Amino acid sequence: MHPLTQSRLRLALYLLAWAVLGALIAVLLAITRGTPIVNALALMEPLALLYGLVCLSALWVCRSLPLDRTPPGKLLGGWIGAALQASAVWVGVGTPWAVLLGRAGVISARREELMGGAAAFFVLGIPLYLGSLVLHYLLLAFEASREAERRVLESQVTAREAELRALRAQLNPHFLFNSLNSINALVGVDPERARRMCESLGDFLRRTLALGARDSVSLSEELALVDRYFAIERVRFGDRLEVERDVEPAAERCLVPPLLLQPLVENAIKHGVADRIEGGTVRVAAQIADGALRLSVENAVDEDSAKRPGEGVGLQNVRRRLDALSARQTRLDTRRENGRFRVMLTLPVRLAAETGAAGPAARST
Amino acid sequence: MPDAEGRVTVALVDDEAPARSLLREYLAAHSDVVVVADCANGFEGVKALTELKPDLVFLDVQMPKLDGFEVLELIGPGPVVIFCTAYDEYALRAFEVHAVDYLLKPFGRERLAEALTRARARLGEARTGSTAVSPSPSRPGELAAAARPPGHWIERVVIKDGSRVQVIPVERIDYLEAQDDYVAIQSEGRTWLKTQPLAELARGLDPDRFVRIHRSYVLNLERLARLEPYAKDSRMAILENGKELPVSRAGYARLKELM
Repeated sequence: MHPLTQSRLRLALYLLAWAVLGALIAVLLAITRGTPIVNALALMEPLALLYGLVCLSALWVCRSLPLDRTPPGKLLGGWIGAALQASAVWVGVGTPWAVLLGRAGVISARREELMGGAAAFFVLGIPLYLGSLVLHYLLLAFEASREAERRVLESQVTAREAELRALRAQLNPHFLFNSLNSINALVGVDPERARRMCESLGDFLRRTLALGARDSVSLSEELALVDRYFAIERVRFGDRLEVERDVEPAAERCLVPPLLLQPLVENAIKHGVADRIEGGTVRVAAQIADGALRLSVENAVDEDSAKRPGEGVGLQNVRRRLDALSARQTRLDTRRENGRFRVMLTLPVRLAAETGAAGPAARST
Repeated sequence: MPDAEGRVTVALVDDEAPARSLLREYLAAHSDVVVVADCANGFEGVKALTELKPDLVFLDVQMPKLDGFEVLELIGPGPVVIFCTAYDEYALRAFEVHAVDYLLKPFGRERLAEALTRARARLGEARTGSTAVSPSPSRPGELAAAARPPGHWIERVVIKDGSRVQVIPVERIDYLEAQDDYVAIQSEGRTWLKTQPLAELARGLDPDRFVRIHRSYVLNLERLARLEPYAKDSRMAILENGKELPVSRAGYARLKELM
């Protein structure tokens, strides 16, 4: 779609400019050749508007010859070639029009004058088309900058949305209902444990809110949150839930987006423990390899369970957040083999100290 | 049915131990209630409900492999049912399978006592013969199918094979064949029989994957290798494993629509 024809106002202004140009040439003709001004206008206005339309084709020339990626020779050749063609089209259509007016007696019908006029218009058409090329390059640059601005805004909105969704998913009401029911049960048989569970739950919720309010947290803080989560779920699932952890000390100091790991762990418990009669082991691992931070969460899967196409909401959320962070520097891969399901995250290594925020803000728990 | 002394036998089916211990604790206050089974999953639940035939069952919905509704489908009409779950979205389905109550976790003693009162009333009606213990449908599968939310297709078929329970994920089904009051389910070279009319079982299956190719056959489209003309107006479906099934004219029209 041509940007000038997208709105009627723009198109009207553009054609008005050409009409003014046509009027100027008509005045010039009236002065130099003595053609009555009305007759000169009758000749020039349709010709000017016609060339205005022809010059809209400059957009496609500009698109196929981007200024920053075309060698200068090709650029110049392309411009001149296009200008010659456009001008030839103009003269080709304009000459019969002049002949017609000449026969009607509106302008001089003399052959030499017509030929001279055609030659003059062909020469005039070239700089006019080059001018149109300049206008179109400017238009394209303007549109590109607006598009870039829009994309930045959009990615900011996406990132915020993803964070909100993460926070909401974190406070999954069924998790709370089930936890409250476990506490309810423990109060009767083991009050001390019920108290500890209240403490874990409160601690988990407080940490969730605190971490969710920040842009990035250290992996050790994220792991501490996951530990609380495991402790709470251990009460529900008992021996069915086993946890394994393999985290390099160096990895613990890396900065990660908050609340990234917990949805993965929640998924792992759902599919690897809750959906299996015998339960299973959830394994969380983190290391720095090839200059990147690699996190993985792994759970057992039921061989009988349907291999559902696509990803669940939890995984999609994490993927969206990583994309919003940096689609090029991050990855999320999933693998299902030998009865295990594994989610692997790859993130750039950023250490808490590097940001200059190694003080209480980044290290506090 | 409560015995002469009016005792009510109860089974607990919940995969979370704390949830069962809570029920035990609450129920201990009711002297007429005897807990006869404590089941940690749906399979244990089916076994206990079939063998012990308790009057009342406290049933969780979300359990591994076999959910509360599937347990009911397998045992058929029997005990009075009280659902216990953290999810409120199953309430409508619970009502449609005539559960006497629906307890939302966490719940307190009073709420449980209320549910028990309702259960006793239902059991009392049954004893005086005014109604059946649980006015479950003659074929529980019918209700299970009817109560399924629209657009949600079943992911597995559950079958009771004597005292054993078989769970077949739908993607492992080759085809279904109507046999009198049964459906023969063909899956990975084996045949399973389920007491349910073919049309009813087929209604729960994703219509983009399972096609009724004939009055007596429903085919998993992924197993179809090719179609061959057979006689005037009829064709044969050749499956990947070489099995041939008849395709009726209407069945062919349905197949064409999907391919």
